[in-house]
Amino acid sequence: MKFSVKNVAEPLIFFVALLALWEVLVEFFRVPAFILPPPGDLYVAFTAKFYILYKHAMVTFIEAVGGFTLSFILGVAFAVGVVYSRHLQNTIYPLIVILYAMPKSAFAPLMVIWIGYGLYSKIAIAFLVAFFPIVVNTVVGLKEVEPELLDLARINKGSEFDIFRKIRLPNSLPYMFAGIKVAIVLSVTGAIVAEFVAANEGLGYLILQANYSLDTALALVILLILAFLSLALFIGVEVLQRKLAPWSAEVRQIEGSF
Amino acid sequence: MRDSSPAAQNDTIVTWDPRVPLLIDIQDVLKIFKSAVKTVHALDHISFEVHEGDFVSLVGPSGCGKSTLLKIISGLLPATSGKVSVNGKAVDAPLDNVGMVFQSPVLLKWKTVIGNVMLPVEFARLEKPPYLEKARSLLRLVGLEGFEEMYPHELSGGMQQRVSLCRALVTDPEILLMDEPFGALDAMTRDELDLELLRIWDGKRKTVLFVTHNIQEAVFLSDTVIVMSPRPGRVIRKLGIDLPRPRAMEMMSAGKFGEYTLQIRAMLASSSGTPGAAVGSTT
Repeated sequence: MKFSVKNVAEPLIFFVALLALWEVLVEFFRVPAFILPPPGDLYVAFTAKFYILYKHAMVTFIEAVGGFTLSFILGVAFAVGVVYSRHLQNTIYPLIVILYAMPKSAFAPLMVIWIGYGLYSKIAIAFLVAFFPIVVNTVVGLKEVEPELLDLARINKGSEFDIFRKIRLPNSLPYMFAGIKVAIVLSVTGAIVAEFVAANEGLGYLILQANYSLDTALALVILLILAFLSLALFIGVEVLQRKLAPWSAEVRQIEGSF
Repeated sequence: MRDSSPAAQNDTIVTWDPRVPLLIDIQDVLKIFKSAVKTVHALDHISFEVHEGDFVSLVGPSGCGKSTLLKIISGLLPATSGKVSVNGKAVDAPLDNVGMVFQSPVLLKWKTVIGNVMLPVEFARLEKPPYLEKARSLLRLVGLEGFEEMYPHELSGGMQQRVSLCRALVTDPEILLMDEPFGALDAMTRDELDLELLRIWDGKRKTVLFVTHNIQEAVFLSDTVIVMSPRPGRVIRKLGIDLPRPRAMEMMSAGKFGEYTLQIRAMLASSSGTPGAAVGSTT
């Protein structure tokens, strides 16, 4: 996407108009604030509770990034294992597929029993939701190698490790990043859902608190913060991808959604 | 039929210079692919010889097993039966003295031009500096000087294929196996690369096995054209091409050239069972 004046100005004007319309309509129809507060209330809530919001956002951030990091390390390692080991492919992979078919957020209550009330059960759920897109995309990237390249390696007596390091791994990077982009956003969702189930800190917990006290403005502010958080993580990955795998644009992107 | 006339028969006799040693010896090679679903008879009792420094083309319709044959010769694929030997040694493992060029350039997107040319050197764990020098001179030879640090996507299809030719030559292999290397290029770029290939071959005297379905290209490049039948691939005829070297594009319009292409076309048409059927393209 190019950042021309038109590209920036158009959505900006649209959003301002939307906010204005929101403010006017809420006033006009006398919508109660606990149903839909005017945007001005959101701003007030944000500034008044800034410190609390920041504190809880940090908790959710750590949970999401922690879960994501874990899923990245284990996901890539597992993908490599599946590609190289027929045994792993025949034994653990089907198990993983069954696990995938389960709604991961439904594990949240169990995680509380297994891991406890604190940070780690949230990291575990964030990990669970982020794990699959990384595994599936990385497996595809490691496998989708032109067979002629493998011939070339064999003719020149390249070792299996050389093929991995010089061909398969770099080849998988664009795919891996496609998976990472899905995973990092999902990990935020995972952390929030886990907080809904049982927590005493984090933005998910805060949304519930706001709901109990019918503080709709605060709940909406938190949603916006979550959007901002996910977007920031996504853009961070995008920047990293351009640095580490600039050839990704040449690869047909499969935005994996496994 | 044209190829049964006495004059045509004479053309097909390939006389080897006895002083030129035998390099590749293919005897009675048979290849059958078996899978749970079906059995494919790919190659049927193929026999021919290639001498050192020869330029030999394999011509035949798509799916006649030309590429399979190249793989068997390079040792990447075992034959079901029959014997392939190179330099008097039976081929039972991937050869290390061959360079390969494929139909698509298959360059690594994340490596520069020079990095791609050096890939075989990296795989073979050879000492880099002398080969780096060689890679640069090869790139100069094919007119890619100044493109060393560029990435494949910044090059045209013809340039990419030139890079892949350099990659095949960098370890200075004895044999060059080329599997329809210029088939995906436009006619003009292909002519250009054919000439370039001959120039390189003239200078380095590699032995080249060249798979193509383009009859004119085969005649233009080769000392010998091996004409193959549709699957299961058999050798219909080994045709010696008696045209002076170095070859030039003008020869394509000379009488003898036309005779060779007509002859091959007739062989291919009669072997496919439909006389006059267009087998391969001659553009």
